[in-house]
Amino acid sequence: MSEAKLDGPEAKRAASTQTTSGETDEHIEAAWTNYGTDQETKLAVEDLDVYYGDEQALRGISMDIPAESVTALIGPSGCGKSTFLRSLNRMNDRISSARVEGSVTLDGEEIYQEGINLVELRKRVGMVFQHPNPFPKSIRDNVAYGPRKHGDIERGLLARLLGRDEKAAEDELVERSLKQAALWNEVKDRLDDNALGLSGGQQQRLCIGRCLAVDPDVILMDEPASALDPIATAKIEDLIEELAEEYTVVIVTHNMQQAARISDQTAVFLTGGELVEYDETEKIFENPESQRVEDYVTGKFG
Amino acid sequence: MTRQAFRDALVDLRAAVFEMGELVLDRLESALSALETGDDSLARDVIDGDDEINRLYLDLEADCIDIFALEQPVASDLRLVAASFKIITDLERVGDLAANLGRYALSSQLDAVPAVDLVSIGRVAKDLLADALDAYERESAEACRAVANRDDEVDVRCQAAGDRLIRDLLESDPEIDAWALEAVLDDVASVLLTIRDIERVGDHAVNIAARTLYALEGEPELIY
Repeated sequence: MSEAKLDGPEAKRAASTQTTSGETDEHIEAAWTNYGTDQETKLAVEDLDVYYGDEQALRGISMDIPAESVTALIGPSGCGKSTFLRSLNRMNDRISSARVEGSVTLDGEEIYQEGINLVELRKRVGMVFQHPNPFPKSIRDNVAYGPRKHGDIERGLLARLLGRDEKAAEDELVERSLKQAALWNEVKDRLDDNALGLSGGQQQRLCIGRCLAVDPDVILMDEPASALDPIATAKIEDLIEELAEEYTVVIVTHNMQQAARISDQTAVFLTGGELVEYDETEKIFENPESQRVEDYVTGKFG
Repeated sequence: MTRQAFRDALVDLRAAVFEMGELVLDRLESALSALETGDDSLARDVIDGDDEINRLYLDLEADCIDIFALEQPVASDLRLVAASFKIITDLERVGDLAANLGRYALSSQLDAVPAVDLVSIGRVAKDLLADALDAYERESAEACRAVANRDDEVDVRCQAAGDRLIRDLLESDPEIDAWALEAVLDDVASVLLTIRDIERVGDHAVNIAARTLYALEGEPELIY
């Protein structure tokens, strides 16, 4: 690009310069990250800093995550995207050295306020991890675990003695959750089999079903398909797109093509815990504003 | 730098598209020379050479499809491959138009319609194509916009040439005999078609500039 450019791209280049080491030095422009949609905002993140001890993992992240859509978080290892994901349901609280500053609101309500019920928060903001982690119990028990725990459904000896056993309600919930997780047809005849006997892809869909059983608003997914083969991955991707009709899905993925395929908007985090660009997925993969994002998605970094 | 094979493939694609463009330009110039000098063997070379351009087009199309399928390009890489994929179609069409011009050169009598200087309008269109290719090779957005602005010149001259031809026809001797009239009408029809072809060369040049601008900036502003 040796030519002097007119209007648009000139502004684009002005924000970045090549350093002698060949890396791009660039300050992040507000216009690159304040992505707005017509959709209602489900999660609003404002000036979020996260520290692990003295190490700052996230720097001043602000982004609105729209309801009923898929938001992908991409970026190289160590860029803070998983930290960001975990800060959305306060999973970082479990790490003793982690410290969070800033604000995250769910439907307008601050999740970092004193006295918030973390169990309730994590019921509303569910999570699916990279490696499927079903309990070593039956398929039915896995799905019903949350609702029983939260007291939404009463089962067991005491409930039976008191005549309050809700087997029918549980059957209905298990069927609905497994259907939503696109697993029902494969397991309906063996609900009492141990979940560990399922294939990896089936286990992951079971974990999604388990997450859905407590009726969340938001589903956070941390590389949910990276341990799966292409067919199982395709099933998870189809499922994610379906889930977005009803739920707000936020997914961390290393697979950029996966982000491109399934997400509505994409946020790019780069080393240093910065959110560099956040926009419609088409924009990020066809014509990103930031030179560093361009370099990252085209594989020219480093 | 990672994905070296992919980066090399992009560099090769760009060079191959430019080379195809040079070949098409060369054919266009030969067709115009044949028309200018009445060199029938040059005209035949242009007509026969169209197969080569078509083959080249199909090869490059396959290369682009391979890159899409195997490398899944994004951002500026995606735009380069997508733009190149379209540009080779424009070049292939210009190749067809050059062959048409060659056929016209074979059939025409040089002095049949002296009022219309097809060769000089053709050269303007050819220069426009050369500039579009140059913009593609140099990655110059400025040069792309300049090509779009200059297409009007070709359009205006083609329009004027067509008008001139019709006016001459209307003013021709009413006593002309039927056989001669038939011959003149045939000639006029093929000149009009040739003017149209030259105009299209200019349009393809603008398309190439527009796709190049898209590749460079992601702005579809010239694409309409």
